[in-house]
Amino acid sequence: MPADPVQSMTRGHPTSDAQMAALRRSLGLDKPIWLRFIDFVNDALHGRLGQSWQFQQSVASLIGSRLGPTVLLMGTATLISVTLGLWLGVRSGWRHGSLFDRAASGVSLTLWSMPTFWLGMILLVTFSVGLGPIPSILPANGMSDPSISGALPHTLDVVRHLVLPSMTMVLVVFAQYVTIMRSSIIDELGSPYLLTARAKGLTDADVRRKHAVPNALLPTVTVIFLHIGGIIGGAITVETVYSWPGLGYLTYQALKVPDLPLLQGTFIIFSSSVILMNLVADVLYRILDPRVRAQ
Amino acid sequence: MRVGTGTRPTRPGLRRRLAAAVLGCGVAAAIVSIPTPSVGASSGSTFTIAMDDSGIDTLNPFLSYFEGGLKTFALIYPTLNILDEDNKPGPYLATSWTTSPDQLTWTYKIQSGLKWSDGQPITAEDAAWTFNLIMTNNIAATANGALVANVASVTAPDATTLVIKTKQPQANMLYISVPHWGIPIVPKHIWESHVAGLKDYKNDTFPVVGYGPYTLVNYTTDQYEKFAVNKDFKLGGKSPTFDNLVVQEFKNSDAAVAALKSNQLAYYDGLNSNQFNALKNDSSLRTFQELGTGWTAVEINAGAKTRTGKPIGTGNPALANDQVREAISYAIDKKKITANVLGGLGVSGEGYLPPGYPQWQWHPSADEAVSYNPAKANSLLDSAGYAKGPDGVRIDPRTHKPLSIRLGIHSDSSRDAQISALLQGWLKDVGIDLKLDTLSMSKLNDNLAKGDWDMLMDSWPTGPDPTYLLSIQTCGTLPKDDGTGGNTDAFVCDPNYDKLFAQQVNTFDATQRAQLVGQMQDILYKANRDLILYYPNGLVAYRKDALTGITSGKADANGFYPSKPYFWFVMDAAPLSQKASSSHRTTYLVAGAVVVVLIAAGAVLLLRRRSTADERE
Amino acid sequence: MTGTQADIRHPRPSQLPASGAVRAESAKPPPFNAFRRFVRGFLARPSGVAGVAILFAFAVLALVAPAFIGPAQLDVTKVSGPLLAPPSAHYLLGTDESGRSVLALAIWGARASLSVGVIATALTVILGSTIGLLAGHYQGWLGAVLMHVTDWFIALPSLPLAISLSAVLGQGSASITIAIAVTSWTSTARLVRAQTLAVEARPFVERARALGASNSQIVVRQVLPNVMPLILVSSTLTVASAILSEATLTFLGLGDPTSVSWGSMLDSAFSRGAVTAEAWWYLLTPGVAILIVVLGFTLTGRAVEHVLNPRMVK
Repeated sequence: MPADPVQSMTRGHPTSDAQMAALRRSLGLDKPIWLRFIDFVNDALHGRLGQSWQFQQSVASLIGSRLGPTVLLMGTATLISVTLGLWLGVRSGWRHGSLFDRAASGVSLTLWSMPTFWLGMILLVTFSVGLGPIPSILPANGMSDPSISGALPHTLDVVRHLVLPSMTMVLVVFAQYVTIMRSSIIDELGSPYLLTARAKGLTDADVRRKHAVPNALLPTVTVIFLHIGGIIGGAITVETVYSWPGLGYLTYQALKVPDLPLLQGTFIIFSSSVILMNLVADVLYRILDPRVRAQ
Repeated sequence: MRVGTGTRPTRPGLRRRLAAAVLGCGVAAAIVSIPTPSVGASSGSTFTIAMDDSGIDTLNPFLSYFEGGLKTFALIYPTLNILDEDNKPGPYLATSWTTSPDQLTWTYKIQSGLKWSDGQPITAEDAAWTFNLIMTNNIAATANGALVANVASVTAPDATTLVIKTKQPQANMLYISVPHWGIPIVPKHIWESHVAGLKDYKNDTFPVVGYGPYTLVNYTTDQYEKFAVNKDFKLGGKSPTFDNLVVQEFKNSDAAVAALKSNQLAYYDGLNSNQFNALKNDSSLRTFQELGTGWTAVEINAGAKTRTGKPIGTGNPALANDQVREAISYAIDKKKITANVLGGLGVSGEGYLPPGYPQWQWHPSADEAVSYNPAKANSLLDSAGYAKGPDGVRIDPRTHKPLSIRLGIHSDSSRDAQISALLQGWLKDVGIDLKLDTLSMSKLNDNLAKGDWDMLMDSWPTGPDPTYLLSIQTCGTLPKDDGTGGNTDAFVCDPNYDKLFAQQVNTFDATQRAQLVGQMQDILYKANRDLILYYPNGLVAYRKDALTGITSGKADANGFYPSKPYFWFVMDAAPLSQKASSSHRTTYLVAGAVVVVLIAAGAVLLLRRRSTADERE
Repeated sequence: MTGTQADIRHPRPSQLPASGAVRAESAKPPPFNAFRRFVRGFLARPSGVAGVAILFAFAVLALVAPAFIGPAQLDVTKVSGPLLAPPSAHYLLGTDESGRSVLALAIWGARASLSVGVIATALTVILGSTIGLLAGHYQGWLGAVLMHVTDWFIALPSLPLAISLSAVLGQGSASITIAIAVTSWTSTARLVRAQTLAVEARPFVERARALGASNSQIVVRQVLPNVMPLILVSSTLTVASAILSEATLTFLGLGDPTSVSWGSMLDSAFSRGAVTAEAWWYLLTPGVAILIVVLGFTLTGRAVEHVLNPRMVK
């Protein structure tokens, strides 16, 4: 904990010595640094995340109020990118080397090579600010429009706000699912069971859908869950670019001061979600793979 | 590897995909075509503005430091005094006031018949209770404790009388409870039960019980606040005109500009210079500049000391030399900084108090004014004994080392980066090597307090009462020997300045007080420890077709308008009857729909082509 | 090759978990022939050649930049161009908010971006390979502990970790470099460990051991040369993600705002109103530069990977 945040917090605001001392005391900054560290570990183990330095609130309540938007954004983006990635991966893998395969690989590799925030900025300029002949058709900021009331219009409005941020995340992230699925399918291609299926007279599409895909899906699904940590990184920059009121944006705000308790808090939340996803992947693998299940 | 297939005449998958594509396009079209609301779309008229980009830390007025919070309280909680359109104190809850002959007792007459938004009467007791809570409760003093530091007691002998006794005479008493900058008065009957858990109380039961031109009816974290008008509100013969007020958070100013252009926002005052210039010629907008209420400066460490005079920190001793500091001041082209960094949208720095409050403004006399003059800077350094070395960098005569000075800049400020690049060039021209230290805000403030710096970028905003900003330069703000308690920004400690400071605090005549404040600024100007670079103008754009009553007063010779208190900005803004704006939106929507249809058609075609290709195999 | 790379943004679109790495050439071929075969194989892959060409072009540009770009183009006190002006004959890619040529900035920015990418990768490779070699060679408690630490680091989300690290370490490219290295060494470590296990199972290592070679001799003389190609491949791809991470961290405000890199250019474009001014030249140039270089490293890396590991080429 490198610095005294009290000075930063009160910047530009009439503050007396007594006030600053009281603030320091309430944030525990009057204690020596090793004691503060022990306090932090102790608090974190007990689920107490402490008090934010810049917001006059507890870290837990700040995180709580921003969890929903992040889950919505990350959920939507993951769902779409997984669907799109798997579909493209199956198509490319099944006829690898075809024009479709090369186009899909090329496009996804190019999109993967872009910084997420930059793609976000470009989409923002193109679709929200409006560039040249392209009109401004999508909102640039936040999650909903305050002047729209009623449940259905409000939901549609949130969806409308969701389009650009989730599109940005999908475009950058789906490439890895294409690659994973593609190579899984390729690995299955030479398998004897596919030959058997074909010998039974099944159509190409049926062999693919009913035999190859389910087998290739097995390793892919677990990898998808392991990649959640990467999506979190994307969420931080995308939420920053689009002012999405979620945890990623909160992290950015914490970073500016830096508000260390808040940074620690968001970090703990992000890490535990990744660890949770790893556990889910483990469990899923056991459920999906009959060989492991049999043991 | 080719895989043979059986040929089949129809592919159910294709139809399914077609249906999905059409459905997808339909949803997309529906999403794009939701009518973007314009001003006046919901019940009654709505005024939509952007929140200050710092946002809201908490809605608890005893704790909040962020502008977004302070501006909210300005509209929903009353104060004893109002600042009129010229930023001078006038009557609000208090209709009149008198001071005792010893100037220690202030007696306010509180307006009767006013009611909180829940129908309870507003009395002097509410004000007395609020003040006493801040004076006696450490938590309640978090945000505004400093404003009551000199207050001895506050009592309410009856419902319409408030008596405040001060420890010392205090000239700025009428500023301590004003909207935005002072103490908001809260309803005692609501807050009494929250004192116990004040620290964690977020004040988010809507509508928030208060009194003011608007009532806060909703706040969605990080998104927006909604206010409803208080129809009965009247002050200075004016009432608020919009039925609803929406304050929307925009964390990114480009997003706010996009919203302004598409009529989701009626007014935006957070423009940067590039945006201002880009919007100047937009036919649907009007742009204007307001004189600034803050400054950006370079602080120079001329010897950091504690209150007892113990030297601290690692500041370069060369800067203790008056001539060296004066030379630095001559080496800096403030006009060029204003032109380059602000794009000319600001005023070059002179006095310590910003031009947004003309009552305190001070200009240096012709013979003491410092302007860009590198030759003079060079000769000052020569005569101070700092001769140029072989590489053009001057040599410190005592240490025989090159004259190298650190400049601390804020890592999150692109302006600091721009300014520091300019400073580096100019100081190099006069033989001073400037090393840049990029620091986070808290690290920079931490170094500042310890005296571990040579020069620093700094900026301060101020309210209309200059007392606090002036107090930063008094000896009392130096840190204690144990390193705590410091609030200084350049370790200035000048007995003459402190004497004038004490004098202006109890000078009740505004003109006389302004004269004293002028002398104080003169001292600071000559000390060359706070080199004020510029006062950035407030850059505003609003929709011509939606609003009226935005500017007040007359623009000065440069076309800059006086700074208007937030309270009056909200009160004066009025809707223009307008219908024009919807037409171009429709065009946009039609254009958007056409684009979507084209994309959809393309997608369908592609799918079909590929599916037949499948069959051809 | 493979490994879920702990990239700061997201894992790179390579392959499945580590087991695939445990394939190495069966014997030790004479090095010169191997090199010739490698070059021939590489040249047969046009995408790889294109990648190398891109990297070569950018490296040359970055190296010779000081010859024609200096304070006259970069120092805001010296430049006299119009502010945020669109491309013209004199400013081929327009100007930034201080009137500097965006083209000159982009070329100069290549130096910072590439050097952070390369240095961070070097750190990553040194850290990752050391831990991987040790964990692979010493399979007792040391290996177990090292692998547990690695697994623990893999579980941490990399961007938040890098952000927290830089926030504590302070601003600037040094702390960004360290943050990138600390968050991306895990995949190299796993990869190297797997390869080490495979190599140590081979007869020539057994032979060396039987002849009384010490641990360090085995690791340095026998294992390291055989693991090296894999390390090189993985490092090419690490540079790509390190450059992306550098841009991301700088954009989030953790970089040094006074130095010019592609990330800092995008940061100022974003914060100084280039979006409203529709200054597409300012927004596009640094982003496209990042895109091309990252693509260059990725194409090169994949091509090398394919040549060294022909089973991939189907």
